Amino acid sequence: MYIISDEQITFILDDIRRNGVVMEDLQLNLLDHICCIIENELEENGDFRQFYFTTVKTFYKTELSEIEQETKALLNNKYYYQMKKSMFVSGTISASLITLGILFKFMHWPGAAAIVVLGISLFSLVFLPLLFTTRVKEKQSLKDKLILGTGTLIAIMISMAILFKIMHWPGANMMGVVSLLLMLIIYIPLYFFSGIKNQESKANTIITSILLIAGCGLFLALARAPHSSHALSVKDTSSYLRSELIYRTERRQTGEFVSGESFLKTSKELLTATDELKSDILEWETGVRFLDKDFESKNALISDGWMKIYFEQNEKAKIKLSELNTLLKKYNAEPDLLSYKQLNSIPEDITGFNRSEEKVLGALGNLVQLQMLVLQNLRELKESKISI
Amino acid sequence: MIYSSELIKGTLKTIILKLLKDNKRMYGYEITQTVKELTGGKIQLTEGALYPSLHALEAEGILVTETEYIGKRVRKYYSLSPEGKTITKEKLSELADFMNTMKFLLDLKTSS
Repeated sequence: MYIISDEQITFILDDIRRNGVVMEDLQLNLLDHICCIIENELEENGDFRQFYFTTVKTFYKTELSEIEQETKALLNNKYYYQMKKSMFVSGTISASLITLGILFKFMHWPGAAAIVVLGISLFSLVFLPLLFTTRVKEKQSLKDKLILGTGTLIAIMISMAILFKIMHWPGANMMGVVSLLLMLIIYIPLYFFSGIKNQESKANTIITSILLIAGCGLFLALARAPHSSHALSVKDTSSYLRSELIYRTERRQTGEFVSGESFLKTSKELLTATDELKSDILEWETGVRFLDKDFESKNALISDGWMKIYFEQNEKAKIKLSELNTLLKKYNAEPDLLSYKQLNSIPEDITGFNRSEEKVLGALGNLVQLQMLVLQNLRELKESKISI
Repeated sequence: MIYSSELIKGTLKTIILKLLKDNKRMYGYEITQTVKELTGGKIQLTEGALYPSLHALEAEGILVTETEYIGKRVRKYYSLSPEGKTITKEKLSELADFMNTMKFLLDLKTSS
């Protein structure tokens, strides 16, 4: 049995490294393997170098680094399968979460929003990128890879836009329209003209393109056109302006309140506080604190603002709302209100604006109604006192 | 006669797993020698096929390793992980089944 010296071990290791084997694990395995062969097969006084070079030559066809390349190929294959596996897992989970979330949303069960957000995020930020990375390996040409990349990005944008839309987060409509247009103008033509050249994929390409165009069309059909958006806003704003003008006239006709009486004082406070909240909301939505008949030329329009977002963005608004609620409670507890049968208390849920579905138009309408109810009670009170 | 590497390729993993099942832990050179002895030299695993497979099986979690110092060099011993033991059973029965099918398929063709 040949005994290998430390110098010879260093020599072999250096030679393995010099020949392009970089993975340390593999270097050590090959080193031990070669040493074993030499120890077992070389005679005690044999020629180490010559034996080494003939032995190592049997390991490969053209060069030693083949072994490392083969190892890497096998390892990559492994990662590829793991990625595919996680793609299926994330896809299944996200699809189930989205379905479950929609069920919760329909049934008004708590937690719906969290489930939908999680499901769509998992779908667009984990599943779609994984789908891209596994598919991109199957594509040969750079062009096909680019088409796949564009498609994935647009799909991510579309699902994020839908997520933003259902959560009432700002920018949803813009994202949705931009991504659908990108799809129609860039992706579909790219996909169509590259696929149609290939006889095998021709039929499939045509069908998929038709489905995609029809799908985009259906989606865009759901979106309101800018023109009708404007028309709807004008209609909504003038409707609110009418209510507001009716209230202003009524208030003028009610005349000045006798000061000093507790009920009248609270009524006045309530009207003032409501006026202020109305103006604040109006300013946030339209840019002006008071509406006039020329609102359209000033472009002061009430559109699709969500009250939830208004309160999220304005800490002071939350305080004002809770002050208004306190006043409303005080008003409803006034002895005058309770003692005169003709007077009606004001339902306290009239200011429940923190619900997720409440829009500016609805909230402003409710506030005007509140003021009208206050004025009605004041008139009733006046008439009751006169009749007494 | 030595079998061609094409024939060995598809069964290499199963051969490695079966050997480790019978011998608890082995290192690379030991695996090649054992296969050579058991087959009377008919199957000779090449280094270029053996080590990539060993590394891949380790990365998959089918094999676990321990290292020992032999003088100045390191020897890596491979053995089956718990998961590897189940996979070995599956691979062995798959291969046995495959061999029966091949036998059937090829007999049928030569007899006709």
